[in-house]
Amino acid sequence: MLTRNVAAPPSSLCPILSHDWHFQVSDQLLFPHNLNPNLNRATRKIKGFRLKANFWESIRSGILKNNATQIVEPPSTLEEEEEPVPEEFVLVEKSQPDGEVEQIIFSSGGDVDVYELQALCDKVGWPRRPLSKLAMALQNSYMVAALHSVRKFPGQEGNEEKKLIGMARATSDHAFNATIWDVLVDPNYQGQGLGKAMVEKMIRTLLQRDIGNITLFADSKVVEFYQNLGFEPDPEGIKGMFWYPRY
Amino acid sequence: MLSRGIISNFRTPAIPFPTTCKYSISDKDLESRGFILRRTISDLNLDHLNSVFVAVGFPRRDPEKIKLALEHTQSLLWVEHKRSQKPVAFARATGDGVFNSIIWDVVVDASFQGIGLGKAVMERLIEELLEKGICNIALYSEPRVLGFYRPLGFVSDPDGIRGMVYSRKQKKKK
Repeated sequence: MLTRNVAAPPSSLCPILSHDWHFQVSDQLLFPHNLNPNLNRATRKIKGFRLKANFWESIRSGILKNNATQIVEPPSTLEEEEEPVPEEFVLVEKSQPDGEVEQIIFSSGGDVDVYELQALCDKVGWPRRPLSKLAMALQNSYMVAALHSVRKFPGQEGNEEKKLIGMARATSDHAFNATIWDVLVDPNYQGQGLGKAMVEKMIRTLLQRDIGNITLFADSKVVEFYQNLGFEPDPEGIKGMFWYPRY
Repeated sequence: MLSRGIISNFRTPAIPFPTTCKYSISDKDLESRGFILRRTISDLNLDHLNSVFVAVGFPRRDPEKIKLALEHTQSLLWVEHKRSQKPVAFARATGDGVFNSIIWDVVVDASFQGIGLGKAVMERLIEELLEKGICNIALYSEPRVLGFYRPLGFVSDPDGIRGMVYSRKQKKKK
């Protein structure tokens, strides 16, 4: 519950993430290992999911050095007859030589701690938004996708470290249109294809729910990132417009 | 990724309508011309609405789905033609209720275009969103109606921000 000095309407609070959750490991993990790892470490240009032009740049390439990185996500080519996207599954699993295991979990169930989210927004350099409004925005979103890092330590059963490292959300009318907002990935985890995977899973989930028109507004610097995911800018000349935008 | 209007949550947005007459056409004027402004889906005949959509070029959509969409729409406005009791103008907005909203399905029946109904609906919808504190109001405009939205205060591609739509046919680069 929000207990800080924020005037929050009683009914709008987001539930705090429960720490004893357990994740299902989807049988989609049992794919052969010769999947395209897509570990584009050095040359990724598009990193920070920036808010607006007059805010400072937050583009960094996060390079995570790991000895054994195993990409377990399913192939990202769209097939005609698809398995439904599970609400929660492991995207990446990395093992350290000392036995520490880190898993990156994707979830679309909206289990995002609003405090953690605010800290993440701070980390990528977004301006502060009131916590209560953030919570309300999440609650009013049709889908909230999150990336969590879960670290398990050898010999410490049940002792795991979990933190939010990415989020994206979509608003929708539940029938025709969805718009994706606030896509962000912790700078320490950028450059690994996680943002891409997260948005991709979101898209697939939306399509499986029969929401055919998926839209977003992209800063000029990330247009290419979304093009690579299948988004088209100004299709048929249709233009995104904003009412008296503040620069 | 864009999420605009953040800082302006702390400021009152400037409403560009003159205080004496809020709208281009007042509610009273509309009524005297035989039109009623409506803000809920009650009494809205979805088949009639669908016909208006189709007549202006939207794909024909399942009325049940339209109903679902309207039930999950944050704000909507329509104009009822008194004599025929049919909807002749419509617009709705979806969003998160706090930061962002997008306006969809703006239509005016062809027989009633050019008399200010579209503008009437848009002005009121915008005001309703502003009153809720939503400062980021966006929409996707077909090229031929950019000139309709501009005088209402809409700017296309501000700061190089582009509207993008997912296309299943699009080839994805790896």
